[in-house]
Parts: sequence; C-alpha cells; structure tokens
Amino acid sequence: MKNKMHLNARTKNLSENYAPGGVRAAGDGGKSNFRIDSKWITAGILLLVVALAGVGIRLAAARGAQVPQAQVSPLHPAFAFLDPSGANVLTSNTPISTMKTCGQCHDTNFIASHSFHSDLGLSDIQAGKASTGLFGQWDPLTYRYLSQPGDTRLDLSTAGWIMYNASRFAGGGPGITSRSGQPLTSLVASANNPETSVLDTATGQAVAWGWNQSGTLEMDCFLCHFPVPDNQARIMTIQSGQFAWANTATLQGTGIVTKSTDGWTWNADAFDANGLLLQAYVTVQDPTNDNCAQCHGLVHMDTKNPLTLPACTDTSYQQTASTGQVISPQKISESGVNLTDKESLTRSWDIHAERGLQCVDCHFSLNNPIYYQENAALRPASLLFDPRRIDLGEYLKFPDHNLARGQSAQYNIAPELKGTMRRCESCHDANKIHASWLPYVERHMSVVACETCHVPQLYAPAIRSYDWTVVTLDGQAAATCRGTEGTGAQATDLVNGYQPVLMPRTNIDGGTALAPYNLITTWYWAYDDNGQTLPVRLADLETAFLANGNYAPEILAAFDQNSDGVVDSSELVIDSDAKLNAVTGRLSALGLNNPHILGLVQPYSINHDVAGKGWAIRDCQTCHATNSRLTQPIKLASSFPADVMPTFAADTNVSADGQIYVKGGALYYQPATAAEGRYVFGHSRVAWVDWLGGLFFLGVLAAVAGHSGLRMVSSLRRPTLETKQKKVYLYQAYERFWHWLQTAVILLLLITGLIIHRPDLFTVFSFQGVVSMHNVLWVILGINAALSLFYHLASGQIKQFIPRPYGFFDDAIVQTRYYLRGIFKHEPHPFEKTPEKKMNPLQQVTYIAILNVLLPLQGLTGILMWGMQKWPALAGKLGGLPFLAPFHTLIAWLFAAFIVGHVYLTTTGGPRPLDSIKAMVTGWEEVETHEVAQKDKTVPEKENK
Amino acid sequence: MKKTKPLWIVGALGIFMIILVPVVFFLPRVAAGKDDPQAGVPVHPVHTSHADIVQGPFATPQEVTAACLKCHPDAASQVMNTAHFQWVGQAETVPGHDGLVEAIGKRNLINNFCIGIQGNWNKCTTCHAGYGWSDASFDFNNPNNVDCLICHADMALYAKGDNGNPADGVDLVAAAQSVRAPTRENCGYCHFNGGGGNGVKHGDLDSSLIYPVANLDVHMGELNFQCTDCHRTTDHQIAGRSISVSVDSANQVSCTDCHSSTPHQDERINAHTQSVACQTCHIPAMALKDPTKMVWDWSTAGQNLPEDHYTYLKIKGSFIYEKNVQPTYLWYNETISYRYLLGDKIDPSKPVVMNPPAGSLDDPTAKIFPFKLHVAKQPYDTVNNYLLQPLTAGQGGFWTSFDWNSALQLGSQFTGIPYSGQYGFTETWMYWPTTHMVQPAENSLQCNDCHGSNGRMDWLALGYPGDPMVWGGRFQRR
Repeated sequence: MKNKMHLNARTKNLSENYAPGGVRAAGDGGKSNFRIDSKWITAGILLLVVALAGVGIRLAAARGAQVPQAQVSPLHPAFAFLDPSGANVLTSNTPISTMKTCGQCHDTNFIASHSFHSDLGLSDIQAGKASTGLFGQWDPLTYRYLSQPGDTRLDLSTAGWIMYNASRFAGGGPGITSRSGQPLTSLVASANNPETSVLDTATGQAVAWGWNQSGTLEMDCFLCHFPVPDNQARIMTIQSGQFAWANTATLQGTGIVTKSTDGWTWNADAFDANGLLLQAYVTVQDPTNDNCAQCHGLVHMDTKNPLTLPACTDTSYQQTASTGQVISPQKISESGVNLTDKESLTRSWDIHAERGLQCVDCHFSLNNPIYYQENAALRPASLLFDPRRIDLGEYLKFPDHNLARGQSAQYNIAPELKGTMRRCESCHDANKIHASWLPYVERHMSVVACETCHVPQLYAPAIRSYDWTVVTLDGQAAATCRGTEGTGAQATDLVNGYQPVLMPRTNIDGGTALAPYNLITTWYWAYDDNGQTLPVRLADLETAFLANGNYAPEILAAFDQNSDGVVDSSELVIDSDAKLNAVTGRLSALGLNNPHILGLVQPYSINHDVAGKGWAIRDCQTCHATNSRLTQPIKLASSFPADVMPTFAADTNVSADGQIYVKGGALYYQPATAAEGRYVFGHSRVAWVDWLGGLFFLGVLAAVAGHSGLRMVSSLRRPTLETKQKKVYLYQAYERFWHWLQTAVILLLLITGLIIHRPDLFTVFSFQGVVSMHNVLWVILGINAALSLFYHLASGQIKQFIPRPYGFFDDAIVQTRYYLRGIFKHEPHPFEKTPEKKMNPLQQVTYIAILNVLLPLQGLTGILMWGMQKWPALAGKLGGLPFLAPFHTLIAWLFAAFIVGHVYLTTTGGPRPLDSIKAMVTGWEEVETHEVAQKDKTVPEKENK
Repeated sequence: MKKTKPLWIVGALGIFMIILVPVVFFLPRVAAGKDDPQAGVPVHPVHTSHADIVQGPFATPQEVTAACLKCHPDAASQVMNTAHFQWVGQAETVPGHDGLVEAIGKRNLINNFCIGIQGNWNKCTTCHAGYGWSDASFDFNNPNNVDCLICHADMALYAKGDNGNPADGVDLVAAAQSVRAPTRENCGYCHFNGGGGNGVKHGDLDSSLIYPVANLDVHMGELNFQCTDCHRTTDHQIAGRSISVSVDSANQVSCTDCHSSTPHQDERINAHTQSVACQTCHIPAMALKDPTKMVWDWSTAGQNLPEDHYTYLKIKGSFIYEKNVQPTYLWYNETISYRYLLGDKIDPSKPVVMNPPAGSLDDPTAKIFPFKLHVAKQPYDTVNNYLLQPLTAGQGGFWTSFDWNSALQLGSQFTGIPYSGQYGFTETWMYWPTTHMVQPAENSLQCNDCHGSNGRMDWLALGYPGDPMVWGGRFQRR
C-alpha cells in the first residue's frame, strides 16, 4: 500500500511534466520576465500593452478560481480598498466603496454617469420623461412596478424596487440618486414618499425607509470585472436591505472578505503592510461571458460538464426565459438537456461562443479604441478606416460603460444607443458568402435578417404566456412555456425547442427585414387610479385570491370546478363568468376602481444562438412555398382569460401586421406577407389573377377544341376541295432560326415561371436552379428579340408585320369570317400567302399586340422584378413586387393562351394540318394560288412531296 | 429539298446549345466538395478459398510455409525483406547520433515498456512474423521460418506462442486452409497487444477495433475498413511507420492519401490544415473503449503486493491505465529529433525522452499533432549513466528471480552494454503518434476546444506568443 501511494505521488509529478520539459522551462523563464515592477509608470505601460492583447487578461482571469493564483491579473496594479470616506477598509472595517476604491485610478464618476446598466432609466425620469428602463418601466413578466408620487397604492418604492430587482441591477443610478437628482441619503424618511418608504408586506402598509441606515447601492465593479463574483451573496444582501454591504458581499469567496454571523470581516492577510491588496488577489479582468450571464441568461462556457436548463419560467435567466436563447460553445448533442433527437444535433448552441467570441466583442464599450468606429452615416464615404482614436491611457481612465447595443424589441433602455452594436454585417460579407448558391443575394439580405435563417430553431423552451389575472398559491402568474412537453418547470422535462415567429423589424436605418421573435402574451388586471390605468398590485391580487395560505373561499368556490378542494392548473384560468365575477368582486371590494383585464403581446428579439451554414435554413422552399415559414403561425396561449384578445405592445420596432385568431380555444398569431410590400415567389399569389388568366387560357383552349371539332366534322361531311397549290419558299433560314429559338425560350420561360409560381406542385425541381434558369432564359429571349428586330428592320421584312391601313378592317372581317364560316366549307383562304405578304390581317394585328405590348410588358415587369435587388427604389416606385409580380403572372397566362391559339391556327394554313409548322422548319410551304396564271410558278406540285 | 434537312437539324442543335450552355453555366451550385476519399480506397481482389487447395498433414509450421511457397514462390523472400520479419531496417543516420548507425529496429532498440528483446526472445518473438526465434542465432535467411499464417489465417484457428511458434493445440491444416487477405484481427493480434497486453502501447489501437462500433473509428467502424485499406501493401511491404522504432517518414500512410488537404466547407477550418494535422481535430481522445497504459513504474516490481492487471503486477511493477485520454500536442514533421540507442548517456535528473518528435513553430513542414505520452521509470546504470536492458522473460531473468542486479547483469551480457553493478530507476518518456480512432466532423474538435480560456492547447509551450486566434497564426506575417 505504501508503495502504491508512493507511486500515486510520483505519478502526479509525472503528469505535471507531461508537457515537453524544455519548452516549459523556457516558458517559465519568459513569464518571469513579465513580472511587474512596482513602479507605476512601468505598470501603466504594461497595462496598455495588455489592453491591446486583451485576451491575455481573459485567459488568466478564466483560470482564476477561488484559490488565488499568482498573476491572475498581471498588469492591474495592487490597490487599497477604500470606504466611502476614503479610509482604508482594514482600519475602518466598513463596507468597500467601489467609487472611491476604483476611483483611485479610474474616473468612477464618468463611469457611473456613462452606464445604462447603472442608470436603468433614472435619467429619463430626471429629464421629466417616461422611463425607458427597468427603473420606471413596467415589465409584465416581473409584474411589480415602481410607484410614482401620487399613486394611491404603493407597490415598489425605490428601496423596494432595488430589493425586488437585486438580480438585475448593477448598482449606482437609482441606487444612490433620487428621481430629482439628490443623493438618496439626503432625503427625509417618510412613509408617504415612494422614494423614502417601503411596502410592509405583512401589513400592506407603507413604512418609512431610512437611507442613512441601509446605505446606498453603489455601482458594483466586481460583478463584471472579477472572475468569480458571488452574485448570490450580493443579491441576498440587497434583499435584506443592507445596500451598503452589497458590493462587499460580492467578494465573498475570494478570500478578501469573510462573512460571519456578525457581518463581514476584511481578511488582513489578503493585504500587504501598506494596506494594498496582495497581487495574488488582484483578479481584475475584462467582463467574460460568465459575468454577463449573471443577469442576462444562461451561459455555459464549460465544455466538459453537460449543460442543463433552468425552469423555463425562471425570469432570473431573463434572456433564456423570454426566448430560449442559450449561450454556449457546447454541442447541443453533448448537453444534458432532455431534448428530442438530441444526438443528431451536433451543432453548438451558439457558433460565436464556439468560435471564441465574448459578449463584449460585439457589445463593446463605446469609446474602446479597439472597437470604436465612427458612425458610418457621418463618415466620409471614401474613408475606410479612421486611425484617430483616444489614447489607451485615456480610455482606461474614462472607459465608457455604455455598451454598444442592438435593436431589441423589448428592451428600450438608452434608445439613442440602439444599433451601435456590431451586427452580423459588421463582420460578415453576406453577399460574398451566399453568392455561390443563393439567387437574389442582395434582395434576400435586404428583406430577411440574418437571424431568420441562421437561428432557425431554439433548442430551449421559452415563456409562451403569463396569466396574471390569477395567481398561484405562491404568488406567481399562471405561466406556460413553448418548446417543451410538460410545464417546463422541471429540468428533466422533454424539450422540443420551437421555431420563432418571423416579423418585420424596422431597423434604425429605416430598412425593414423579417427577423425571428418569441411572442409572450400577458394578461393582467388593471384599474383606474386617479385617471391613469395601473396594473393591480401583486399585493392586492394576492389579497383578492388568497387567504390563510390557500385560495379565499369565494375564489375556491368559483375556480374549483371539480370540487376536489384544489384549484389545479387547468382550473386556474378565468374562463367563466362565475370566475370573472368572483375576482372582479374581490378586487372591487379592495377599493380598486373598475378592475378589468388587459392582454398584451410582446415580441422578444432572437439574435443569439446563431447556427453556422450547415444548420441554417438553406432550402428555398422553406419560405418559397404555399406553407411558408414566413407565415407559420405561432401559438400564443392554449387558453386565455375572459376572451380578452390581447393587443401587440406599442412602441416596438416590430410590425404586427398579421392577425391574431382563435382556433379550438387556443390563441394564435399568424404573420402576413402581403403587408409591407412583401411578395414571396412561390408563396404569394393574387387569386383573381390566376383565376382570370387561367379562365382565359382555358377559354382559348375550349375555343380551339370546339373549332377543331367542327373542322373535323365538316371535313367528314365534305371532302376537301381541290385548290391550286404551289410550293413557295416563305421563310428565310434566319427567320426560322429566331422563331424556333424564341419558341423554345418562351416555352421554357412559361414552364420555369410556373414552377416558380407554384413550387409546391413541382417539388422535384431545385427552386434556385429554376430561378436561375428563368433569368438566363429571359436574357436569351431579349438578345434574340433584339437581333431579330435588327434583321427585320435591316431587311425591310418589318413591313410584313405592319397592316395596310386601307381596308384593314374589311380585310380583318373577311379573315374572321373565314375562320368562323369559310373554313368549315373548305373555302380557299381569303388572302394569299406570298413571300412578300406572309401574314393575314389578323396575324398582323396579333403579332403587333404580342411583340409590341405583351412581350415588352413582360420583359419590363420581369426586369423590374429582377431589379428589386439592384434598384429597389425604382422598382418600388413602379408598384414593387406586389404589383409587378401578379402583373407578370397575368401576362404569362396571356402568352400561354396565345401559344395555344397560335399553334392551332398554324393547322389552318395548309391543306394538311402540319403544313405550316413544316414550313417553319423547312422554309417551304404549299400555299393556295388564287391567280392561276402566275408566271413564275417554277416548282411543280408533285415534286414537293 | 434534300439540302434543307441537315440544315434544320443543325438549327435545332444550335438552338438547343444556345439555351443549354448559358443555363448550365449559370446554374447555382453548392460549393462542390473537392474531397472524393472513396476514390483512394483500394479494391481488393476476391480471395480464392484455400480450403480445398491446402493439403496436410503438417508436422511443423515450417512445412506449412513450404507448402505456401509452392504456389507463392516469391512470398517468403518478400516477407524476409520487411521489418515485420527482420525487426531492423537498413544502416542509416539516426538523429542525435553522428555518422551512419548500424541498422536499428525492434531487434536492438529499447523502449519504456518491456524495455528490450535481447535475451528475452522467448516471449518477445511471440509477435515475430516467423518461427523459432529463440536466441541470437536465429536464421533470418531460411524462407521456411516465415510465418504466413499470422497474417493470413483465420485468427479463430491460429495463435502464436513462445519463440513465435504456433501455440500448443493449433491445427496447422485447418489454419492453413483458412488463409485469406489480412483482416484487422490479423494485424491486431500483435499491434493491439504490443507491450504485453491489450491497448498497452498504442492509445489508438486495441482490440475494440476488431469489431468496432460506428463511433469508435469512422474508417474501421462506420466504413468497415481493414488495416490494408490504408496501409497499402505491395510485395508484402506494408506502408506506414511509427516513431517508436522508425526514424524517417518514408513510406508513411497519410490522411491525404485519400482526402484533400483542404476538405472542409469552412474556409477558416481549411486555413488550419497547414499548421494542424487532421488527427489533431479528428481524434479528440484516444483509448475510447479500452484503457491504455499511461504510466509504467518498473521500480516497484518484484514486491508481494496485491496484483491487478491494471495497477500492479509483481513481474512488471505499477501502472496507470487511462481511458478516453486527451492526447499531448506537439509540433511534428513526421520524423524524430533523437532516438535513444543503447549506450547513450543520460541525465538522470531529467526525464529521458527516447523519441522526441521533430518539428517546431518555425518548421513549415511541421504540424501540431496528437501523441500518447508514455511515462515510465526504468533501470539505468548509476555509474555509467545509461539505460540498462534487464533480462526479464529469458532464462533466469527478473520474472523468475525478482533480482534486479542479476537481471541487469544478465541483460548486459546480451546487449553488450557493460553494467557497473550499480543501478537506479529514472524517468523516461516515449511519444506514440495518435492516428486511429478517427472521428467524423460531428465529433471532432471545434474552435473553443483549443482556443480561448478553456482551450486544451498550451500555446506558449508550442512556441506561440499566445492563442493564435487572437495573436495570429505562424504564417500571418509572411
């Protein structure tokens, strides 16, 4: 045994030496050269060097765990921990002040005043505007709201708001400053002021809140800049009302501070003789994905341990709960999620996480000189790169903590910064990537957001509906999730994921593109409070529903439909007048004026969980089909209270131009493509165009059938009259060539056009192949038509097509009469066909119409449709696709009808039905001679056979 | 009239071409995969059953070989020219040594597993493709000493014992009648069991590959490849070598024998292939099913400790086996920078790397390659400072005497390396390239497995200034 232990100890050494010895030694030597000189200047220079490297810090920081390691943050100098008065916390034994401590080098006032994570809408209120942020804006998911002065009922006071939102507030802003801009500590405690009171949940009464006792909540630098902050300890400290200690609590577990029953004690061993934090404890770093994850959603950067999902209604994972977005490089197949068909999902949850990107790579600090780029709209168009940036030293002193942000539908904080973020197109050239296979790349990119195809499916459940018109026994809404079987409350529930709904997003630049969203529908009680409509406080709702830990007797009587004494989840919905009246009565009894139910649909943007090319939507017919992904309905709720139809949230950049409908008791939303000028080939159709065109086509077909039937009958009755025939060389080689080329191209154009119009009927064809073929064909047709026009002009043959003005109508009538009567009597053709005059008047007028009206119109509409990608404005002015495309379809029907008539009429030309077609092949046709004494009759009849 | 007929055919053809050519030219195409690996897979001729051809009886295995040679007269001379029979190559230069060194191979090299064969032939030559190699006087020129059956017999009917002779009880006639092209089981008989047991030497070759499941190895599992599909064989010369015994890269087997060097759809991944070997990403781990020996400590051998195949054997010492092992990554240009030869001086204060792979960041032909690193403690002469080869399996060796001093003394008589009488144990390393248990794209490594804060690469040790994802690759500035 002794030997075994010896071996184990030995092996440990061996394993440590696995890396090649020589190289390792050199590496160690190299590292030691990096050791910090205590001189500030050196540190400063090195700081700049590493700020450039960036990742060095990140690498080091990620390794930093609870056990302090040397050089986790090699270039951040050691520093003293100061309290709000500027004294070292070791001597004062008070909570740390981040503003004072970090303010020793960084301008913390600048940072705090340039951070929407901290402000959360406070500055809007100070400017007399409605808040755009969490501080003041009501979020129906978290439900509770910030009470304003004048509200008769207090829900969340400022202190209550901080405690309630502890998990989503980084401190600063409303944590230290009042809505009028005063320090909170300067306010006089009063139960009547929502800024200096708090709701006592036991009594339901507001009681005064003393800010000097609780202290205020400074911005917590450690939360984002330490590798393993103890957010849970911080949240609990805030929720206990000890705001001043919250940032200190964040350091729990670092070894810098320890908590006992008496409170927190600074660990003197973590500091040197001068009171500076020992270098080993200095783990300051750029924020990692894990830092952001603490408030924003599920992030799982560890690839070794399988990822598991929280309950889908857990709104502390805000982004994951609201959309199902999960940031992880792990392959979905290797996760621990109970996911349908998981083994085949060998893609990562998010390709950018897989490829090593950090949240802050796209959501960067706006004055970070590495990422800063001048607004493209303001930059001279010829300037590709402006090298003038702020100095790294300046940046480190004044780092803008307003992070670049996207154009989220739901989060409106700092609207002036929307669209500052690096979006897909900031890094990727979509035109280049898709050029090899995707037709109309520019068009697709301008109307379809990248996310639509590259986030085809979410593999985590997301909230579907939140019904606050009822409360569960633990004071929660009746919530449902999409993308999971079961309630989604259990980590083991089977997850199917879901396909987001596609809705038009209006970008900052004014463009509109279809993008994926989750829709969350909320129903809630509102009441009239001094002329404004407010949601019923959760406290009032609970009073109305609950009594002594169970439902109040009146509620139980109305809701317990099967009288088993329990209100189960299927009963907990207001679906009868009895239930509605019971709740309305209870709410009114609380003094709430006009309690009524409102419903709200909120779109939540989906921009993460991006899939690479192998997993993106690539099949054209996903969208270009009758059952298009673009109009795929999304279920809003399986049951909903009191038949209240919800309305879409206003003030979002998403247009809800589809319709909400009820089917089988459930509520759905189906997007519409027709609105917003979208016409999707293969999906969009204008019914009357197809009906009209189809009827016309069938009419011609029927007329031809009738006419040919009569001809057959008549030819049985009357034997063919012998007419004089002669063989004439009617069609020059070129004429035949261009005619047949045109024939083939037009037929193929009709066929390919039909496939594009109805791809669901011709699924064997590759849609993009047919589209490309259609485009090539019209170019050939155009060239052929142009060359032929030149030929006809140059040769003078153009005269053939031009009707003689004199007697044209008479002639036309004669010809018409022939087709209607004469032909059945086997009368000779009224007009002789000669090389000089090949066409009868009807032909002339038909061809004039075809070649001068139909063909140009079809070409023009076609080119404009093609031009939607090149000159969208021009095509847009001329009606856009919703006009051009149906018009093009209508003309195609006319062309098809013309071809039927044209082919049929060729059978009337000669004695035998196929004579004229043969003539167009060989050039020679037997024509009737009306004047027997023709001198130049050179070819005897019989020879023609 | 007759003239016009061909004219319209020409016209019709012209029209057809005018439409067809541009349509085909502009058809959107999915980026065509440049990779057609199936084209590189050899087609094996259908083998003629020898059940009715081979007639016994055979008194000795040599008689079997003689019977084979009646129809395949060149076979023995071909085999006798191979390392499989000779266990040495040609005299050549060995990295780290001056001038031409006499031919080296298993016959005269030592490793850090069973150490060396000299004097221990009785057991070691169990895996020799010949019969009767029991001492230094073995006749390498006798064609009848070639063992045809070990590669060609159905392994259900054949096995080898001491000195390479057929094991007791083998029915030579039945074995000889079962011959056919070698299967994984033939090659695996020795190559899966090198070092004295299943999966001991190679981390990527063990008996789980005889009937491999699909996800164990894409070639042998999913596609049911035999060894000779990649290790192509001409005149019994089998392609492929390993730096455990070879010092050059001639006649090596490579992924690019069948695959394109840039077979990926993703440009970024293709850009990796000039610095990262295919194996690095496509073999994320070795010893997937059966564990492989990672550490072998001879110094504890000879004690009466509880025995267990995977942790301790009295004759061999202590081991550590591991399963699903992440390889060690080094630059590798398919050669080695040094090979330990008997008599080479060592520095006992440092691990002796017996076969360090050659290559570095600055070597454009080198790529980052996955290795199994086998660490051992093995005996050395503390006076002369060189490694010693003990007599173990041989007559009176350590496995019977459990006396290191005598085993080393006896061993030195066979190797000709003088033994001072003073011994100790020193740490030695051997690198084993990992090239089997290949995974398809779905299971191979992805960016974050190597790059970023949780990556498996030690970039500084590889010579990079930092993670090349952010610091730039080695060809960045050229």
